[in-house]
Amino acid sequence: MKHSVNRPPTPDGAEDQGNEPTLQEIINIKLIESGEKERLMELLRERLIECGWKDEMKALCRSYVKKKGRNNVTLDDLVHLITPKGRASVPDFVKAELLQRIRSFLMSAAL
Amino acid sequence: MSGPNEDNNTQLSSHIFGDLLDSIIVDVASECHRIAKLGLDRNLEEEEEEMRLSAQARARVADPSNSSETNTKYVVDIFGQTHPSVATEIFECMNCGRSIAAGRFAPHLEKCMGKGRKARLKVTRSSTAAQNRYSRGSPVSTYSPYSNSTSTNRLSNGTPSVAGEEYSNGTYEEPWNKT
Repeated sequence: MKHSVNRPPTPDGAEDQGNEPTLQEIINIKLIESGEKERLMELLRERLIECGWKDEMKALCRSYVKKKGRNNVTLDDLVHLITPKGRASVPDFVKAELLQRIRSFLMSAAL
Repeated sequence: MSGPNEDNNTQLSSHIFGDLLDSIIVDVASECHRIAKLGLDRNLEEEEEEMRLSAQARARVADPSNSSETNTKYVVDIFGQTHPSVATEIFECMNCGRSIAAGRFAPHLEKCMGKGRKARLKVTRSSTAAQNRYSRGSPVSTYSPYSNSTSTNRLSNGTPSVAGEEYSNGTYEEPWNKT
């Protein structure tokens, strides 16, 4: 009996913490279900190829592989290699376009 | 509602954009990883191959058991040809008229023109004045067609350099360079 009195109620705990992740989760689900996430991904991919970003990343990978020898390279290595540079080198106009699209989706999703 | 929502929206948008970008980054990395592991990048392979071959060639050059080109039985030149260590082309000796193999020509000339007992007898018979200067003798001037004439340079008597000047070709090629 003491146990059940002292133990915090589980459902309440989840509700108290869970607002932000839940909102994001909801939005994520909406993005995926409406197909918008797929469209946004394709749009971003296309823009990144057009502006040469993908080629830059591939060149980075290639030189790393050449340096280390192709049998010593793990996927993890490459991801860690590209992530900081990749995030920093997205052109502003590409980022702006995507953010615009996402924001208008959020508006239309009207929470 | 619009105030905090706006900020939320901006933050959310950035977060969503970050997610999309991360996914694409992983895709690109995965593609490059696949290409690397499968050896599909031709340039990479070619360079590795070239580096391997140049390292091999360097090792061969540095190897003391290979004495440059003279170890020719097993060494292949850049055209993929091997040469026997003794040149095998056959010429006519201008002095005695015999057919001699190119690789044996110098020793033959030694005997034929100079240091042998029999040879000296021959020389004194033909031209007394030019006993030690074989270069000006008539046999030499008939030798022009052969670019291989420079094997006379091999004579240790010291005459060869003078003999060489007589030749119209003026070539000083080593026999190995003949194709």
